[in-house]
Amino acid sequence: MISPTPPAILIRDLHYAYPPPLHGGAPVSVLRGVNLAIGTGEFVAVLGRVGAGKSTLCMALNGLVPHATGGIFRGAVTVLGRNTKAHAIADLAQSAGLVFQDPEMQLTQMRVEDELAFGPENLGVPSGEIEERVTWALDAVGLAGYRDRSPLHLSGGEKQRVAIAAMLAMRPQVLALDEPTANLDPAGKAAIFNLLARLARERQITIVLATQELERVARYVQRVVVLHDGVIALDDTPATVFAQAPLLREWGIGAPQLAELASLLTKQTDRTYRFLRMGEAYAQLRGELKSMAEPGGFADHLAPSPVPQISMSGQSESNSRPQLAFEQVSFNYPDGTAALRDVSLAVAAGEFIALLGANGSGKTTFAKHLNGLLKPTRGCVRVNSRDTRLARVAELARMVGYVFQNPDHQIFAATVEEEIAFGLRLQGLSQAEMAERVNWALAAFALTLSHDLPPALLGWGQRRQVAMAAVLATRPQALVLDEPTGGLDARSRDALMAAVTTFNRSGGTVILITHNMRLVAEYASRAVVMAGGQVVFDAAPRALFERREILVRAKLAAPAVVRLSQRLAPFGLKAGILSCAEFAAAWQRLAEPQGGVDGC
Amino acid sequence: MGAEFDVYVRRNTWLYALDPRVKLALVAEAILFTFLWTSVWAALAVAAACLLLLWLAQVPAGRIAAFLRGIVPLLLMVLVLTALFAGGSGPVLVSIGPLRVTVDGVMQGLLLAARLLALGLAFFFWLSTTDQAAMVRGFVALRMPYTWGLTLALALRYLPILAGLFEQVREAQQARGLDLRQKRFFERLSAYRPVLIALLISALRNSERLGWALEARALGTHGIRRSVFRPLHLRRTDLWALAALGGLLVAGVALRVL
Repeated sequence: MISPTPPAILIRDLHYAYPPPLHGGAPVSVLRGVNLAIGTGEFVAVLGRVGAGKSTLCMALNGLVPHATGGIFRGAVTVLGRNTKAHAIADLAQSAGLVFQDPEMQLTQMRVEDELAFGPENLGVPSGEIEERVTWALDAVGLAGYRDRSPLHLSGGEKQRVAIAAMLAMRPQVLALDEPTANLDPAGKAAIFNLLARLARERQITIVLATQELERVARYVQRVVVLHDGVIALDDTPATVFAQAPLLREWGIGAPQLAELASLLTKQTDRTYRFLRMGEAYAQLRGELKSMAEPGGFADHLAPSPVPQISMSGQSESNSRPQLAFEQVSFNYPDGTAALRDVSLAVAAGEFIALLGANGSGKTTFAKHLNGLLKPTRGCVRVNSRDTRLARVAELARMVGYVFQNPDHQIFAATVEEEIAFGLRLQGLSQAEMAERVNWALAAFALTLSHDLPPALLGWGQRRQVAMAAVLATRPQALVLDEPTGGLDARSRDALMAAVTTFNRSGGTVILITHNMRLVAEYASRAVVMAGGQVVFDAAPRALFERREILVRAKLAAPAVVRLSQRLAPFGLKAGILSCAEFAAAWQRLAEPQGGVDGC
Repeated sequence: MGAEFDVYVRRNTWLYALDPRVKLALVAEAILFTFLWTSVWAALAVAAACLLLLWLAQVPAGRIAAFLRGIVPLLLMVLVLTALFAGGSGPVLVSIGPLRVTVDGVMQGLLLAARLLALGLAFFFWLSTTDQAAMVRGFVALRMPYTWGLTLALALRYLPILAGLFEQVREAQQARGLDLRQKRFFERLSAYRPVLIALLISALRNSERLGWALEARALGTHGIRRSVFRPLHLRRTDLWALAALGGLLVAGVALRVL
């Protein structure tokens, strides 16, 4: 799709390969003939699997690729009429700004206003004008009152807005962003997407956003570009691109939940469903439900179904002794912050718990009590009846595995194999037992081919898998996962969750810390919501989605399909639907009361 | 986490507003006065003056107390070791085997400890009242190349982040069953190997990103003279402070020489 105005960005037949990661290896080909034209003021999302070349494309816009990365570069990238290969990165900074995933590594100053002034200073902008630019850029990102603050003490979302403002202060006409929301909570993500849409609309800044946030892309973005196999495989409006949900799923990218629902309903009925947004889906499906309910309609026997009775007491009422128990636990950090207040909770073996809450609500503090990384200030935490205050972390680690948000915090070994064997060696297992478990883990996570590579050189998705494999190989009884799916594409996420499900089905307890409510709906059997260091809700996810006040308090939103089914319930749709598959099955039953549902 | 490395506290007092060069001159003069006299009292007087300045600058008492708590063990160690090993003449206070603690040795220990305290407080005053950007501007105004100043500033900026990273890496390795509570030094050192390697890999990865981020912010643009957002100008308060420092310097040197 070529814009009518002269393009701000023009990419012609771009081929790019990174230098070989290991001496004597082959270059890693990423882009294989990309052609793209983007007009001034467009807001474009670049989608693709982890490792598809999204970051590379962003970095090609300000010349980091190939000037800083080296490698083999063919074709041409022109930004505002300047060929990026012919200009130095610093010289391109006025044309194209680039914002990275981790705000920590792009903020260089101790004060917000100095951060914003840094770029213009480097460009030799006179001091009076820098003042104007700083004021303008802070205003543009909605941080006017933050001039004097230290970036160290801002939230993740605020830091990312400062990073965007720091780019805007150099007055670029093009802004590329490489997964800027991957590490943010829902409030932070929403703030960034709102800001980007506004910058494109009101200030005519061309935005190129590499992301995995499909739901938000559907809501905010004008144009979607899909990178697959090194080329632009799809390029159109979100509605048209996401209408190809089956293809996107096949490519491992996935689609927003309502687009997936539309494709599922189309597949199993003789009608065509095409919707992407809540309003469209509601309008189309409500109309059909009404016609079904009319006398002579094909579902006139149906009355609105009652809301299923839901236990509000969670699933911890097992008679057996709990595997993990919090008994009136309070925890204060050394600076006096009360992170947990009088928390009592019992977890039976084999439960799948989603631990939810806004940032700073105490989730991670709670989880770190499970393997003794933190010990309660008051009260007692028991793991298999053992008081964690009396046990060493190393001892508790055998019972409770912990997969951290960032795999790079644990990866250190020279090969993937050694990385996985590390925890097993600490347990003092025999060579034969170790070899057997390492092979199992390599196979389970499709890492066999990479077994002798340095894990630090693998891509992000694979590093995540190595970290996970290393923990699961130790065969813990319970597993804590802290935001395991951030920045992962649909296929990597499904693979990871499949491994977690297998672990759970074989009797392992899972505690999943996440902001992704779709995972909660589809996988968890119990949702524990924290706010202000306390447990404010503890029951099945289905019950949570009925409690608006809890969702609002914890800054959570039910998945799109859940909200849609809630809105359609008064018209006869079954209540308590959690996933696309459940929705499609309920719809099928309405349409063909006697028919069965084929596998979904 | 790790924010304790961030010494600077923003306050709106005239001492904060002083030109960074003037504050640097103050630190230099404090160092000079500490060594001008070979006297515990002189060093203690400088330390007291620094404490007075910290109080006038309204640096929170908790911060000052935390700094003192941190430095006291070091001072005690200096005092004890010097007293034990400096030897020296004068009456023997205590004999422990071959070691003799003399009055001279103790006085020397006290002098070293007092000077260390004075120096520590002078630098603490400087770090608490001068933000990173002002520090760099100060150095650059004193003809230090900008990249040196920036490197120093980045080091200060990333110290807390590195400390936080170390903490996260340590927790991640402990969560895998790594026992870091070994009794013997070398065992503990080898136990920390996975932590240090993972930290190094992460730090290298981060430094590559940081390099990219700096380039993306037009650092090192060819043919352009870097401008300054808030150029330094000596104001009236700065001139008065400089005059006072100069007077004090002349008086001090005269007192010493005469």
